[in-house]
Amino acid sequence: MSSNSALERTINKVLSKKETELISQIDAAYQESLKNIEDSKSKLEAERTKIIESAKKQAENLKRQIVGSSRLNARNKELLMLENDVNEAFEKAKARLMSSGKEESYKSLMTRIIEDSLPTVGSDEVVIECNKNDSELVKKILAESTKKSRIKTKISDQPINVIGGVRVKSADNTMTFDNTLDSRIERLKPLIRKNVARMLRGTAGEEE
Amino acid sequence: MPETTAGIEYTKVAEIKGPLMVIDGITKASFDELVEIETSEGERRLGKVLEVGFGKAVVQVFEGTTGLTITGTKAKFLGKTMEMPVSQELLGRVFDGLGRPNDGLPDPIADKFLDVNGEPMNPERREYPTSFIQTGVSVIDGMLTLVRGQKLPIFSGSGMPHNILAAQIARQAAVVGTKEDFAVVFAAIGVQYSEAQYFKRSLEESGALRRSVLFLNLADDPAIERIITPRVALTVAEYLAYDLGMHVLAILTDMTNYAEALREISAAREEVPGRKGYPGYLYTDLANNYERAGRIKGKDGSVTQVPILSMPADDITHPIPDLTGYITEGQIVLGRDLFRKGVYPPVNVLMSLSRLMKDGVGEGKTRSDHMEVGNQLYDLYSRAQEVRALAEIVGRAGLTGTDLKYLDAGDMFENYFLKQAADENRNLEETLGRAWEVLSTLPEGELTKIKDKHVKQYYKGSK
Repeated sequence: MSSNSALERTINKVLSKKETELISQIDAAYQESLKNIEDSKSKLEAERTKIIESAKKQAENLKRQIVGSSRLNARNKELLMLENDVNEAFEKAKARLMSSGKEESYKSLMTRIIEDSLPTVGSDEVVIECNKNDSELVKKILAESTKKSRIKTKISDQPINVIGGVRVKSADNTMTFDNTLDSRIERLKPLIRKNVARMLRGTAGEEE
Repeated sequence: MPETTAGIEYTKVAEIKGPLMVIDGITKASFDELVEIETSEGERRLGKVLEVGFGKAVVQVFEGTTGLTITGTKAKFLGKTMEMPVSQELLGRVFDGLGRPNDGLPDPIADKFLDVNGEPMNPERREYPTSFIQTGVSVIDGMLTLVRGQKLPIFSGSGMPHNILAAQIARQAAVVGTKEDFAVVFAAIGVQYSEAQYFKRSLEESGALRRSVLFLNLADDPAIERIITPRVALTVAEYLAYDLGMHVLAILTDMTNYAEALREISAAREEVPGRKGYPGYLYTDLANNYERAGRIKGKDGSVTQVPILSMPADDITHPIPDLTGYITEGQIVLGRDLFRKGVYPPVNVLMSLSRLMKDGVGEGKTRSDHMEVGNQLYDLYSRAQEVRALAEIVGRAGLTGTDLKYLDAGDMFENYFLKQAADENRNLEETLGRAWEVLSTLPEGELTKIKDKHVKQYYKGSK
């Protein structure tokens, strides 16, 4: 009987010891879990801040990109519209030049063009090309100018399709000087475009 | 030249040879005059006069002579040198290597027409560059400081991230203390489409495209065009800087392709070749481009040049980097070893140098300890490299305590100071802060290049 009670006491003692041990282990584990949660919280907070910062940075970049591209697109559309207007102005100006054949100012312009063109080619014998309407005028001007110049001239039988002016070729056809109004406009187009654009934008004379 | 004398068209083509065309029966032509060539099919190309004499003119055709025939080809001499129409509207535009629009938009409406060869800068009017540019890249800001008006090339090798670095500089470059942004002029000379696209996208994403002008001569574009690309780009850069008062960063990549194009023309002209077949005037020609960087007294703007050149076989003694190094004010050399280690930017600081750094840093410009910190970092890394070499022979066990500290400091220098993300923008305080953290791993007595007062103020290590 006594041995039984001793055994029971021992069992109880072991049990109680184990219980205390387990409780302290559970307590330690609980404390550790609390600490882990606390640590994770700060890590999470840092991670969260990092993600928010990175998202803010991305949003800022995206904003810059969208604003930048929109401004650029708007500017590009304006450039295209301006170009259309400039081209329209050119077409109108060309049409007006086409109808200016009978004006006295055109005759003096043609005289200047021919007088400039003949020596430019640097050949003693040249062929002159012009449009159908100008052929008589050119003949008249040549008749007057060849008296002063020693360059032999001939008017081509083949009229060319241009607004006005002349194209001068050396007799051997190796050199051509294109002094037609079309070519002059083409040559001066960049400069004229600048002035037309200024006028269209309403800034004419601002810089002059 | 008066406009009426322009435009004589010649049909007598005597010879076509490589990128060159010889025209006979010339009565009037001048050196460098622009020539418009019309093929028998009506296609138009551009060229310029290289030589004139005995009734002949040698014309260099930019788009190449493929498809041109002796009969039926016409050459119109335009009576002017090549010009670039310039105005503020150029910002945000994309052009080809000859300065023609490449973005589907019309020709820019010009404010001025400028000769692409530029005008030599009056040396007396040049202003010495002294203003610090913060690039946000630690190794550049801390040790190879870029200043406004400087020409600082990047010497790279094939496959290395020079374009990523250049794009980062372009996006982040800022004048400290002002809200001024840099205008970027980017000239792609014979680069791949993907590289040019990367650059464009990078500027677009950072919103910097609207203050940029891009000139793209891609790898599949005619090589001869490459002679003109840096010239048109620098003409625009000069206009933006000196006429509009902007601070301009001109990035020219890849100047090696430019030199190759020069060699091609030189060979076709049968000139006496110099080193590796490049013409004897390679130095002068490169200088013509590089010297277009700078500042002018009385003008607000500046042109800062970052030319990029890839060194064939990473050979720094190759004529192109060699001659470039004589002209520019230092160089940033990218190292293959660092690149293999995954360090970005892989700048080999021991081979790199910014000659103008001393004038752009210090009290009143950046921070009083800046120059000393830069020098000490050079010293640290150089010593670390020596110790690394020694450790390979004797092993770590054979090193002294100080050597071991240098070994660790060298690693920290690479991984903490040098290495950074391609989108990481560090300000100067952060850069110098990191530099001091690296330096603080050494014993205080090793910091021999820094004044005591700065060591007292910034040193964080053990005494």
